[in-house]
Amino acid sequence: MLVLALSWAVAHSETPPLLDQVGHRVETGTARRIVALAPDVAELAFALGLGPAVVAVGPAVDYPEHAASLPHLGALDVESVLVWRPDLVLATTAGSDPRLVERLRALGLRTLTVDVTSCARLVEACTLVAAATAAGDAGAELAAGLRGRCAEASRRGAKLPRRGALYVVWWDPLIVAAPGTFHDDLLRHANLSNLAPANAGRYPRVSPELLLSSAVEVVVSPDEPDARALFARVVATAAGTRLARGAARVIWLPADPASRPGPRLPEAYVALVAERERAP
Amino acid sequence: MSGRADAGLVVVLLAALAGGLLLGGPGASPGQALSVLTGQGDADATAAVLGVRLPRLVLALAVGAALALAGAALQSLLANPLADPFLLGISGGGAAAATLAFAALPAAAIGLVPAAAMLGAAASTGLVWWMARGPLGPSPTRMLLAGVAVNAATSAVILAILALAPSPRLAGALAITMGSFAAATPEAAWWLAPYVAAPLLVLLYHGRDLGLLALGEESAAGLGVEVAIVRRRVFLAAAALCGGAVAFAGVIGFVGLITPHLCRLVWGYSPRRLFPRTALAGAALTALGDLAARSLLAPAELPVGVVTAVIGVPFFVALLRRSP
Repeated sequence: MLVLALSWAVAHSETPPLLDQVGHRVETGTARRIVALAPDVAELAFALGLGPAVVAVGPAVDYPEHAASLPHLGALDVESVLVWRPDLVLATTAGSDPRLVERLRALGLRTLTVDVTSCARLVEACTLVAAATAAGDAGAELAAGLRGRCAEASRRGAKLPRRGALYVVWWDPLIVAAPGTFHDDLLRHANLSNLAPANAGRYPRVSPELLLSSAVEVVVSPDEPDARALFARVVATAAGTRLARGAARVIWLPADPASRPGPRLPEAYVALVAERERAP
Repeated sequence: MSGRADAGLVVVLLAALAGGLLLGGPGASPGQALSVLTGQGDADATAAVLGVRLPRLVLALAVGAALALAGAALQSLLANPLADPFLLGISGGGAAAATLAFAALPAAAIGLVPAAAMLGAAASTGLVWWMARGPLGPSPTRMLLAGVAVNAATSAVILAILALAPSPRLAGALAITMGSFAAATPEAAWWLAPYVAAPLLVLLYHGRDLGLLALGEESAAGLGVEVAIVRRRVFLAAAALCGGAVAFAGVIGFVGLITPHLCRLVWGYSPRRLFPRTALAGAALTALGDLAARSLLAPAELPVGVVTAVIGVPFFVALLRRSP
């Protein structure tokens, strides 16, 4: 009887299956041929020391330098991925077509999708990829570094006065980051209260009149050539009058880490806090 | 019936004007907007009401009038109740060119998108007319078939552009295909004015001819209508209306299809009675649609084309069911 009970206990004490950030089960084991579909997961793979195993990357991958020099997928479709015979495909909810991932899974490929909506989720993604690829210590080390940088941003941000803010991802039409996105988390770490609507998706199109609301004290935007030109157009219209006279402060963040939920994202957190510290 | 219906139309139009200025945005509450209109608002509320809402309202009224008029003219010209600016590929040509310009132009040149849309609409108009020409001139059937073909081609072009557009530009390119008045400026409203006024005059001038064309081409010709000339002028007038609308607001569906039918159910078939009322009804419907688009999830905005369809279709079905 005792033997039976012990056997039952052992059988039911197995490690729970590893799930990725969209709830799919992921088989663990060393990865020798990785295809990274998006820039943030490519960066994550390299930061975890998996670079030598990455055989191909998505069309938009340009960092780090070694990743940029790898073969790029011509198109994000099943055939383009299969031709590289990957044993792991890294995808992201921020830029990968979920139908492609589903199709690859149906064909028996090991896939892992990350869904980074906050610094905590980034740390979790880092630990997850490390666990799935048996990267072990590298994952723990990277996760600790990311956690530390975000905590630093949060600690410094808490000393700043609270302000109403928008994170503008596109100026014309006006598109902002809503609560539940990593951009929202970026604002919160800098003690900024996101004024974007929460009931209209992750990146809603909003009325240009929102820029005239006195509640908007800070506007954060990624610093891209297109963004600067479109911002200039908005400022020249009636909707941009508060911005034009400086009633709301505009903070431009380096677009590369600020627009990519990868391992350099905490740099954007710290950069935003530093900008706010300069002129709270 | 007609007098009461006219009064009802005026009331709806006034409601659209008042709502468009007083409601629907985070920049000024209704009380603040009222203060602005009485000359007592602060600078930001004044910018919201007079700088953002007023041009937006004027543009919505003008675009709605243009689309409804174009639909009425094409339905009369082609003797087809399903004819509208989209069926003939004119809007599609404008939208394809605007989408291409938005995806490909440097950001500093985005202001050229309306001009590109106008050129695209003109090109697709010319293409439809050229394709429809047969030995006896362009017949309604050939024009519809040519329009369907051009529409299919422009839809394919738009899909290809959306598939290839750099991802940060995708949202703006999509906005063109779904319609929006968010980027309205006073200049846009002024630019659009001649594209509505001149075709309206052409359509009113040929109102009697279009009425006779409804009896059949041979009968109309027998009664002195120069069928080929009327057809060309009315088609070009409709094309100008569509091109102007798409250039400044993107693609807004259903207004051009439904408004003329609604107006026929109320005011009958005489083009001279129908056209001015259709223009006003289209203006009111579109302005109310825009008000709903920016109010329902404020400060988020819905595509105005979605709202015009949601408002227009049930109303249309109800009137259709009640009509004899």
